[in-house]
Amino acid sequence: MAEEAVNTGRDLSCICAHCGAAISAVHFCSECGKIQILSPDVDHFQFLELPRKLVVDDAALEKSFYSLSRQFHPDYFMSATELEKRASLERSSRLNDAYRTLRDRIARITYLLALEGYKESEKKAPPDLLEEVFESNMAIEEIKAAKRLSEDNVVVGARLSLETALDGLQQKLGEIDGQLTLVSQSWDDAVDQCAEQNRKTILLDRMSELLSHRSYIRHLVRAIQEEL
Amino acid sequence: MPVIELSLSGRPKSARVVGIDLGTTNSLVAYMSESGPEVVRDENGNGLVPSVVFYESDNDRLLAGEAARDNLVFEPRKAIYSVKRFMGKGSADVQEDLSLVPFKIAPASEHVIGFEMGDRVFTPPEISAFILRELKKRASRFFGEEVLQAVITVPAYFNDAQRQATKDAGHLAGLDVLRIVNEPTAASLAYGIDKRNEAVVAVYDFGGGTFDISILKLKDGIFEVLATNGDTHLGGDDIDNRLITTIVDDVERCFNRSLRGNPELFQVTRKAAIRAKHQLSTDDRAMIEIKGNDQHEEYRREITRDEFNELISDIVERTLAPCKQALKDLNLAPEQIDEVVMVGGSTRIPLVRDKVKELFKREPHLEVNADEVVALGAAIQADVLAGGRRDLLLLDVTPLSLGIETMGGVVARIIHRNATIPTSAAEMFTTWVDYQTGIDIHVLQGERELVDDCRSLAKFTLKGIPPQPAGLPRIEVRFLIDANGILTVSARDQRTNQEQSIEVKPSYGLTDDQIEKMLLDSFEFAEEDVLKRQLIEARNEAETVMRAAEKALVEHPRGLIDENEQLGIRRAIDELRQTVGTDDTQLIREKTTALDEKSHHLAELIMDGALVAAFKNRKASEVAEG
Repeated sequence: MAEEAVNTGRDLSCICAHCGAAISAVHFCSECGKIQILSPDVDHFQFLELPRKLVVDDAALEKSFYSLSRQFHPDYFMSATELEKRASLERSSRLNDAYRTLRDRIARITYLLALEGYKESEKKAPPDLLEEVFESNMAIEEIKAAKRLSEDNVVVGARLSLETALDGLQQKLGEIDGQLTLVSQSWDDAVDQCAEQNRKTILLDRMSELLSHRSYIRHLVRAIQEEL
Repeated sequence: MPVIELSLSGRPKSARVVGIDLGTTNSLVAYMSESGPEVVRDENGNGLVPSVVFYESDNDRLLAGEAARDNLVFEPRKAIYSVKRFMGKGSADVQEDLSLVPFKIAPASEHVIGFEMGDRVFTPPEISAFILRELKKRASRFFGEEVLQAVITVPAYFNDAQRQATKDAGHLAGLDVLRIVNEPTAASLAYGIDKRNEAVVAVYDFGGGTFDISILKLKDGIFEVLATNGDTHLGGDDIDNRLITTIVDDVERCFNRSLRGNPELFQVTRKAAIRAKHQLSTDDRAMIEIKGNDQHEEYRREITRDEFNELISDIVERTLAPCKQALKDLNLAPEQIDEVVMVGGSTRIPLVRDKVKELFKREPHLEVNADEVVALGAAIQADVLAGGRRDLLLLDVTPLSLGIETMGGVVARIIHRNATIPTSAAEMFTTWVDYQTGIDIHVLQGERELVDDCRSLAKFTLKGIPPQPAGLPRIEVRFLIDANGILTVSARDQRTNQEQSIEVKPSYGLTDDQIEKMLLDSFEFAEEDVLKRQLIEARNEAETVMRAAEKALVEHPRGLIDENEQLGIRRAIDELRQTVGTDDTQLIREKTTALDEKSHHLAELIMDGALVAAFKNRKASEVAEG
């Protein structure tokens, strides 16, 4: 398992659909140079020839996106064969999806978790924040009711407590982001060191938990902002 | 007319790809010259073709462009303008528009609008096709060869149905539409083609009927759209209508009668309002003068720019919300935009410039020719697609999120807005009931949560699923938005890996069958079709002459003509046979005439022989009788 995670360049050798040559190249046939039909088993990391790691050099990723766009885009295959057109469409749409996913920090972690067999994280309140969460929810109900009944002074009071709560929640979001950065770094170290699977599992569990806290708080923040 | 038709006929087919800006008010066609993109102009140097189509009932034919616009004032009921506003729409979408235009809508316009013109009914793609034909004709005349391939621009915020309707229009006009390009993106291409510095550019495109804002990153020849937003129902037309409504009220009071049911006077008012609008872009005040049907009726009114600004300020204000949303989508502050480029005719209005300046906190860049820049950009993209250059690349986005209907009328989003295209998403579907063999998928576009608040795109039915217990079939459906921003759907049975058949029912727009029928119908209208008819007639005539010549050679060879003459006729037949398969009407006619001349002598001899034989017979019979 550990080896597989490191070995991103998994054996992709296949037969070129255009010239029939056995090839090991990723995107274009090493013999006839034609663009290859995309295998659905290739994941975003493999597609971009990146290791399955979480700290990504944004500038390098953009550079590779632009360079591959220039190689795959359907604009350049207008007079090619139908097979090449299909391959160009598949590869450029995959490139766009991979770039969109891997350039965003959170989307990247979510995608890694999915690859590692985790289900989409459900929204869960962080246990150390249960009290604040409870109070915020109460205040939201209160301000809603007060608005309905036009009780202006109650609205003002509830708004004040919501504003305080919002500050606290946003601070917590900052903390979670910090923790995600740390755990991402640890994951990359684990990959580099070909660490045992259980060390990795601990890290993945932690990421999954942080993400569910994060999405819970963000949901709450949006609800509060709507009332303010 | 016949002169032009003759000179058009027999033109070789062109491998050239032109760029077309199919606008609400005016349209243009441009191409890539040695020195850069250029608009194709008429003899008077005019590049704009009015987007107006007129039905000449006497001759049962359609006019497009200048000729149609000139007729608009005299017979408004037979003209259609601003047809772009009706593309990809149903009758329920356009009630407001209809109150402002004198068009009559045919019954059964729920899915596609039908305009009644005289005793004919035309859909928006057909009307647009006539404008495109006019542009195609102009380009073909210019190049001396028949232009067959084009890039056509659309507002960035056009949805799938509107894009598809535009593609259909191209198809109906006999054009192979290589790409649908977003107008602001095309404009950015024309603007940024010579710039090599990295920059974030906002294109504010306020045209005749639509508004778009696109924010792009320009870097190393890549034009990457980061976000787009807009309103496909907001443009100079709305400003005109505001002004017209005010003036009509005034005129009705002045003339003491209603202008309803008087489309001629309405068109006169409309023309005066538009003239005043144009004047107020440069002057502080404009005079509006309207003469009624009888000589005593005369209306005069002065309007100042301040009055005009106040009248239209809420319309201009409406362009700002999409700008703010695009910035918000990208988490960008207005200060982070390096350049704001203004395109579209409505950006000539000083108030528009002021508002944009206020929002982006900088002096916007005014395109020298706001009317032409989109067509020029389309020509550049056409050149890329024709293989002319590889240093430029447009990476555009889909303007609207794509979703599918789920339980309880909720939309599950599968592709988000501002996703770089082409892009795809795959969803797994299964059956709910035992032995169910079909699955319905309802696809929508829009940003809202509920089905009713989004735009229905189409209903897809997966058919021929092998009967199995519920939940067992696994059908993977792939939604692909191509580089035109148009959706295609494919499905595969995961167990058998077989391609699954899909039946598509578009919610708005034409079916393939309808388009085919329109293609046939259109033959009786277009001038280009006159050419096709001429070709067919020339071929028929050639066949007749060839058959006659061959018959003559076979039946009456001996003694009538010598070897040389026979050979000459045979050669002429061969030459004609070689040309008859081509599209060159002129050449077919020439070779037909040539064969006719060569075989003339033989024909005469045969004729004489026939006469002699006839006389002989008569004599014989007379003898017999006598």
